[in-house]
Amino acid sequence: MSKNKYLLLLSSLGALALLIAAAVNEHFMKEWRRIQNVAVSDEGPVEVRLRQVINPGLKVTDRCVSCHVTMGAGEGSVRGAKVLAPHKAVSHDPAEYGCTVCHGGQGLATDKAESHGDVHFWPEPMLPSHYSYAGCGTCHAPLRVPQRESYQRAVSAFERLDCYACHRVEGRGGTIRPDGGGMEGPDLSKAGLAGYDREWYPKHVEKMQKEPLKAWKMSFSAVNDEDRQLLDVFLSTCVGASRLVEAKAMFNTAGCLGCHKVSGVGGDSGPDLSRAGYKDPGLADFSHVSGPATLANWQAEHLRSPLSIVLGSQMPSLGLSDRDIEQLVLYTLSLRRRDLPISYVPKDRMRALRFGEREFSTDGATVYGTFCAGCHGLAGSGLRSAGLASFPSIANPDLLERVSDEFLKNTIQHGRPGRRMPAWGDMASGLRPEEILSVIDYLRSLSGVKQKPDRTPPRWVKADSASGRALFASTCAGCHGAQGEGGEAPALNNQVLLASATDTYLIETIGRGRRGTVMQGFLDPSPARRTLAGAEIESVVAFIRTWEKKQP
Amino acid sequence: MTPAEKPPDGLREFADNLKAAPRHIYETAFRSGTPATDRTRSTFIFGNVFLHLHSVRVHRWTLRWSTTMGLGIMTTSAFLITLITGVMLMFYYKPFPEAAYDSMKDIHFVVPTGRFIRNIHRWAANVMVVAVILHMTRAFFTASYRKPREYNWLIGLGLLVVTLGLSFTGYLLPWDQLAYWAITIGANIAQSPREVTDAIGITQWFDPGGIQKLLLLGSDVVGPEALIRFYLLHVMLLPLALGALMGVHFWRIRKDGGLARPSDADARLGPPPAGTYPVFTEAPQRTYQLAAVVKGRTPAVNNGPENTVPSMPHLFYAELGVFMLTVLICLALALISDAPLKELANPSVPENPAKAPWYFLGLQELVSFSAFMGGIGVPAIVLLGLGLIPYLDREKEGTGQWFGGPGGWPLVRRSILLGLGSTLLVETLVIRFGWLREWFPHIPQLIITAINPATILTTIYALYSLWLIRRHHSTRAGAMGLFTCFLCGFLVLTIIGTYFRGPNWVFYWSPGDWPKH
Repeated sequence: MSKNKYLLLLSSLGALALLIAAAVNEHFMKEWRRIQNVAVSDEGPVEVRLRQVINPGLKVTDRCVSCHVTMGAGEGSVRGAKVLAPHKAVSHDPAEYGCTVCHGGQGLATDKAESHGDVHFWPEPMLPSHYSYAGCGTCHAPLRVPQRESYQRAVSAFERLDCYACHRVEGRGGTIRPDGGGMEGPDLSKAGLAGYDREWYPKHVEKMQKEPLKAWKMSFSAVNDEDRQLLDVFLSTCVGASRLVEAKAMFNTAGCLGCHKVSGVGGDSGPDLSRAGYKDPGLADFSHVSGPATLANWQAEHLRSPLSIVLGSQMPSLGLSDRDIEQLVLYTLSLRRRDLPISYVPKDRMRALRFGEREFSTDGATVYGTFCAGCHGLAGSGLRSAGLASFPSIANPDLLERVSDEFLKNTIQHGRPGRRMPAWGDMASGLRPEEILSVIDYLRSLSGVKQKPDRTPPRWVKADSASGRALFASTCAGCHGAQGEGGEAPALNNQVLLASATDTYLIETIGRGRRGTVMQGFLDPSPARRTLAGAEIESVVAFIRTWEKKQP
Repeated sequence: MTPAEKPPDGLREFADNLKAAPRHIYETAFRSGTPATDRTRSTFIFGNVFLHLHSVRVHRWTLRWSTTMGLGIMTTSAFLITLITGVMLMFYYKPFPEAAYDSMKDIHFVVPTGRFIRNIHRWAANVMVVAVILHMTRAFFTASYRKPREYNWLIGLGLLVVTLGLSFTGYLLPWDQLAYWAITIGANIAQSPREVTDAIGITQWFDPGGIQKLLLLGSDVVGPEALIRFYLLHVMLLPLALGALMGVHFWRIRKDGGLARPSDADARLGPPPAGTYPVFTEAPQRTYQLAAVVKGRTPAVNNGPENTVPSMPHLFYAELGVFMLTVLICLALALISDAPLKELANPSVPENPAKAPWYFLGLQELVSFSAFMGGIGVPAIVLLGLGLIPYLDREKEGTGQWFGGPGGWPLVRRSILLGLGSTLLVETLVIRFGWLREWFPHIPQLIITAINPATILTTIYALYSLWLIRRHHSTRAGAMGLFTCFLCGFLVLTIIGTYFRGPNWVFYWSPGDWPKH
């Protein structure tokens, strides 16, 4: 019996000791307690307690301020450990908005690794600091962002025209006058968000004439129309997050919306990216990704070579540079829009939602960059990517010389049923008529050619389709397929193509070919393959026409 | 009451009653008073609803540590711990797929001591599974299943099955990848009769495997239906079943005359050591008569002077001691090691390897050859065999003694060697050279169902056991050999399944050798 008594005694003491250890661990060993223990504010040592920022509107309960005490409400004077450094000046006070809204991470957790989300299997780790600006995407969407070259031109115009002499943008420029008069011009960091005076130029001119100060004379001179447009582009994209805008400009260059949707705009053939920044890295397949198992790294490796990360991916490899990828990753991570209560919806998002403003600038180059470049190439010269059918070169001068704007508009509007090309004009998530027209203008400007005047009726060929069948089989089927279903070369039995292509267009294309592509003119003499005479080409066209479904 | 009738010192009486209230509460709660004499000790026990499952007096043999090693109490204690911590977890757990995972995260990170409680729950569950297996092993090797305890052995088997069921149903609740794929494996094992019905071609008319899986999951795949089913089983039906079976199990211990002990226990124990609470110092003060004619043995019939001590306090110290020891073990494990929580379950990204809970990994190892034999055939044979043991072994020799019976420890030692050796040999051959499917790719599945490591090992063990029965002229000898072999097989297969099987169930010496992609 005494053995059992000792067993009971010792086990109970042991259990008690362990419970005390657990309680001590739970209550005294916490990192945030140790930080608060040594922290002091102006009023002396701070009270040691679990601190949190709660914002029911944003659905935020962030205990980050238990360690980062300084960022809590009214705690600005707290000093101590490095973790108590104050937040850099931002327009959203962390004491009101919380931390996880912008930075991600696990607001409810109370120790470092877990709250920063660097633990295995936490789906939403903190954004790495060099992708911090992706956090803006939780609420904001920069609007009217042009494609990369246009954006860079606008940025350099602002610099070239010496606007920084008087204006400050994101902490840069805006010389402070020695006599204490402050900056000459207003800070323009958020001109795009808050709005700016569209009449700024005449007012500048008027002001300079009225008070001919030295600074004005040195820095301001007449600005031509083109530069004024560039400056407007720059100003409308000044939202206080130039890195994000820059990244979005890259996104609007790489043609991602051709296949992916973001906030209800874009194609259907790829996954919707509206919340791509929230993708759970735990659910991503990292088995073919080298480097760390983070979402940023997955996106980067995937952009570098989609097919080697996702088996059977239909996403073309765009041959992006490391910097391009970095920017696209930043933008992808920023696609983390949350549902917000109406009082928190920012202006830009409201403008996009309620007033239909576009997130991309609607000039032809940007619309092309946003929707078309992913498949047709950054310069419109088509794209070949492993495992995918080749994408046609649409800026080809031989094409643009022979087709009317009407043909192009039809093609963009109704797409190519059965192929990757969506019907951009017919989809709710597609393009508006004026945007389609601007793309056509842009294509014409890329090749610099207009349509050659064509006075022939759309259908005039009256040749024997039976002989055309044999010619097609021996000459064309190798690339275009026996039934014109396409293969290495585009499909010819496509109803939209057949409806909008005129006979002259077909004959010209067969006869003269397309420079820079595999398709060479069959009228041209060639030692390598057979050539076709004009009558033969006509019969081939007659044969191609047999695939066209007659309108009832 | 009118004022005239009011006693003059009514207030004083009220004050006295108020003062005496705590004492009265104590007296009414423990009616027999302080358990200081044999009689009050007895009434203390049968006057208490929680204690009355115990007999009033307990044989000194029972209290020896080597008799039971406290394994039954340890199992019960672990169950109580899971019960208490489980109820605590239920305050935060939400049984719907994604919400379940989020609530696990809350418990893990936010709820004060939530992670600790969950760790204790998880470790207590594992301690319970281990203890219940060891408890059964103890009961077998001490031949405690014999008459009159045959039926309690069957109840014990039921408890084993329910314990495994409880552990298995709890496995799904976190709704992480680990849980999801372990349960998927488990459900496929339940579906394994299809291997046979498919081979015969009768699945479309008779599909017990499909029905089993459907009953388990409520759907074709592990989804919300499965989760709510598992939750209900885990927090209600199985605990109730376990509680009921435990009640019967304990009650029958008393009805069967306490724990089994050797017939010469009294002689071997000798007189109680000095200082032990005297045995039968107080003569019974009242004579009880049997109210009805009771058939069979009651504890006191046909027994000589009992070598017993009062359960209060002797047995209770032992039980409390083991209980606290179990608490200590669970607390220590919970402090050392966190319960796993992987990423959210994702039906489109299978875990590779997807492993069942550890106690089913021996079966999963067999399932990798034949789903039917590993998942249904062998477990059924084992359970049937275990259930029949007390009815086939009707011998008397060695009851209540470790390795009692013909052959004794040397036989068990030989059986351990044979069990380990044969299992390791078969596994080595299979891992080194593959099995029928690798040799004859077009062989009918039925042949593999009939001839595979599971059936081969079972046959070896069975033949060995029959040989032992003939050699020792004793069923007990055969049973000991068979039980030992199965235990060794379970051990080897579980260890191989747990530590040496990697992606695609390929053998690896260590997880470090697993292919990266």
